[in-house]
Amino acid sequence: MADLITIAVDGRDVQVPARIPLIEALRHWAKVETPAFCYHEDLKVAGNCRICLIEFEGPRGWQLGISCHMQTAPNLKVRTQVSSPGVVKARKGVMEFLLVNHPLDCPVCDKAGECTLQDNYMSQGRHESRLRDEVGKVYKGGADHRFTDTKGGDRGGKRIDLGPSIILDQERCIVCTRCVRFMRDVAGSEQLGVVGRGDHAYLTTFPGQPLDHAYDLCTTDVCPVGALTGKHFRFQQRVWNLKTVESIDPSDALGANLTIEYSFPGAQGARVWRLMPRRNPEVNKSWLANRSRLLYQQLASNRLGDGKVAGADVPLDDAVAAAAKALAGARRIALVASGHATLEDNAALLALKDALGERAEVFGGSWLAVGKPDGIALSGDPVANRAGLRLLGIPDNLDLLAQRAGEFDLLLSVQHDLWAADPAKAAALAAIPARLVLASWQDATVAQATIAIGVRCWAEARGTMVNCQERIQVLGACPVLPNPALEPAWQVLARLAGLSWSGEAEAFKAAQARSPRLAGLSYRAIGPQGRVLAPAAVPAAVGA
Amino acid sequence: MPHPTHWKGKELPNVLRRLFDVPGGHRLAVARQHGAYSTIGATLFDKSPFELIELVKDSGLRGRGGAGFPTGMKWSFVPRGTGKPVYLVINADEGEPGTFKDRLLMARDPHLLIEGMICTGWALGVRTAYIYVRGEMLPQIQALNHAIREAYDAGLLGENIAGSRYSLDIYVHRGAGAYICGEETALINSLEGYKGQPRLKPPFPAVSGAFANPTCVNNVETIMAVPWILTHGAKAYRRWGTDKSPGSKLFSIAGDIGRPGVYEIPLGMPMPEFFELAGGVVGELQGCIPGGSSAPVLNAEECAKAAMDYESLAGLKSMLGSGAVMPFNATRDPVAILRTLTRFYAHESCGQCTPCREGTGYAHRVLDQVAEGKGRDGDIDHVRDLADQFEWTTICPLATADAWPIKSFTGKFRPAFDAYLAKNPDRAKPRELTQLEPGAFM
Repeated sequence: MADLITIAVDGRDVQVPARIPLIEALRHWAKVETPAFCYHEDLKVAGNCRICLIEFEGPRGWQLGISCHMQTAPNLKVRTQVSSPGVVKARKGVMEFLLVNHPLDCPVCDKAGECTLQDNYMSQGRHESRLRDEVGKVYKGGADHRFTDTKGGDRGGKRIDLGPSIILDQERCIVCTRCVRFMRDVAGSEQLGVVGRGDHAYLTTFPGQPLDHAYDLCTTDVCPVGALTGKHFRFQQRVWNLKTVESIDPSDALGANLTIEYSFPGAQGARVWRLMPRRNPEVNKSWLANRSRLLYQQLASNRLGDGKVAGADVPLDDAVAAAAKALAGARRIALVASGHATLEDNAALLALKDALGERAEVFGGSWLAVGKPDGIALSGDPVANRAGLRLLGIPDNLDLLAQRAGEFDLLLSVQHDLWAADPAKAAALAAIPARLVLASWQDATVAQATIAIGVRCWAEARGTMVNCQERIQVLGACPVLPNPALEPAWQVLARLAGLSWSGEAEAFKAAQARSPRLAGLSYRAIGPQGRVLAPAAVPAAVGA
Repeated sequence: MPHPTHWKGKELPNVLRRLFDVPGGHRLAVARQHGAYSTIGATLFDKSPFELIELVKDSGLRGRGGAGFPTGMKWSFVPRGTGKPVYLVINADEGEPGTFKDRLLMARDPHLLIEGMICTGWALGVRTAYIYVRGEMLPQIQALNHAIREAYDAGLLGENIAGSRYSLDIYVHRGAGAYICGEETALINSLEGYKGQPRLKPPFPAVSGAFANPTCVNNVETIMAVPWILTHGAKAYRRWGTDKSPGSKLFSIAGDIGRPGVYEIPLGMPMPEFFELAGGVVGELQGCIPGGSSAPVLNAEECAKAAMDYESLAGLKSMLGSGAVMPFNATRDPVAILRTLTRFYAHESCGQCTPCREGTGYAHRVLDQVAEGKGRDGDIDHVRDLADQFEWTTICPLATADAWPIKSFTGKFRPAFDAYLAKNPDRAKPRELTQLEPGAFM
């Protein structure tokens, strides 16, 4: 890169980009672990926690400065904890002060295991406590929540219900103001604030006003301690018991990056416990809408775990056999693709179309209303893979299907809840006598199906989607919850087409065969942050 | 008692005190009889802003709020021709304990402040200026508002001041009494309607201050010296004081002193001489806080060597600060004094930075234990260590202003602190570990 400059970190020269926060240069370029509580990559700098103190050479010799607020500049000389006892001492001091009034009850704190304060105590503090009981801790919190504990301590600010999704523990708060800055600068709704001064400063909302924003759960992510916890996850699970897999938000065309956190099949049973935003500076930064975050709650409820034929539950294999028979006997078949399904699923649908030949016709698009982007982590388009449909050459013509419903004697839809999207328009589809539905939930379309086949949902099958930025992103798979025998939709469709694809990679290859813009990609090449697809080739001008 | 005019046969400076003893001097008619607004006209407007800045630089005038930064240099940092408005903000928050000079100036001679603001405004190209007054100073606020109204009526404020091309509006903004709002960036935050908490620097106010525009924040006393310098010249101002601390300064002296009050004296006057001027120390001098509560305390020996200027006090590892002088005699208890001071800083910490927010309160609570006779061996060293930990590790110097008294009092009056520790028969007992009870923290 042309714009790299040289700074000296602990006496060694390091190449870093110019004018980036020094803390980023230390962490990612000099590879010096630098702690922070108030600093957050996607929030404005507040510089109040002081744990990222380093020494730099200023006009009056070496002096302490905070690396989050300083920027890289040529000839900057920095000393970190690696070479400076002064930095170690200053950070130890900050840690001691942070812990003076912080409850030391990690074993019962919900944040334990992912608490920045805990982590930094282990890396920067490790001091013997010098605090005496008589000196005590000060009361932290609003007057409404004050109480005297069994030891006579002046306590308060516990379990404060801030609104529909958040519980606040004022005693645990270290006043880093990350949540305040998130609400003010990102969410754009100043619902949180720090009131009071000195060690009596505490976090709260306006009197009588709740914290009720569509993104307020992000405050629990940025909270470095156990002060803000989400009602949905609070005391549900110890975080070190969870496994993670990277995926994206399947409910919006931005495809906000997220992590699925689930427990092992075993003593506790396989279960998804939460979805956490996964940072992607180009997509959702560090944010995830509450709506997307709570999608996991649907994963184990109202699922279509088996097949249905004429309304009666049947084993999956029987439903697939019935479907194959229906397809074989049908005269005109409407295949409905879905922007809620992956490229793999839709590629399998197109493979089925090829197998069925002239009898089948593919329809695509969605009847769902498209809203406006909120500028944070939602594009407003609920059809996550709409760009993927375009990429595969699937038309946007659902209305046409409704008009021509009378021509068909079999409808096959994949992961597409037509009757929920627009019941009035979908009513015309009831004219098609056989309705074959592949779905993960017992939704309105399954209720209209003559044959329904349960398939894995977005969180259970690896696949890819293309977001509204033309970025292809991978959805990872966690254990299959309702029925381990469920297959991904692409696999069912491939079987119906008489193909035996060995895995999702083969389904992805089938998708690649249909779009040159997918050439050369693989799940590994796409990577955790996704890849923006190469622009479509412009056809050569006639006569050139 | 009127301000003395002479001392040891020499006339005392009369830059700021001209209306201290004039009844009704806050009214325009009376003030004018004593020369108010004499600079507003050709004296000011015939000078270019650049010439005025050079004049103030030559005079060696330094900021009287506490830091003592050269005023002319501060003005020269304000960028010109950026297309953005430049704001002048007068810091009249005067919160430093022991300081009561600005309140006297504003009550007795508000027109001099307005005149100084017009001069400064001309030098910096200011169209709108604010006076940020500490909320408790009601009489001063009334005096200022009254004076501003009179000045508008007399054509000395608003459009085309005194028939010139220059226009200036002045607004009085009432603070809410937070000490930290005397720090210039906290003051600007408060002025803008935000919580009074210091901002990260850079950007400095000269580049991006009030409403993100270039802003110059000056103390009341500093600005009030400008008209005199403009009238009499830089050389006349320099006939008082020392080479690096020229001119005169107001000192507010209180404590064990014969005639507490506000005195205008030439900088560089020996401290014992100043005590004499103010009526002499009552009792036997034990020590003195020379520049507001943040300034490290001096013991009696140091007081004898000290002079009232920036360099002499800096040489004694203390500071001139805001010019609040607090001598105390041998009957006073240094432990009680320090306890009061640390209580003040713990109370006034804005709660932003960790070391100050948690540290000042904690250090105060340990000192409470000591003062109540419950101190343990090592407590004094512990508090000094804490002071080291929050000195210079925060956004603003409030924690440092707490660390200095802690370190100087415990250093210079250590026997008094040890005597308190000796009151505790259990002082050598080891620290008891907290026993957590099940459910206590849920």
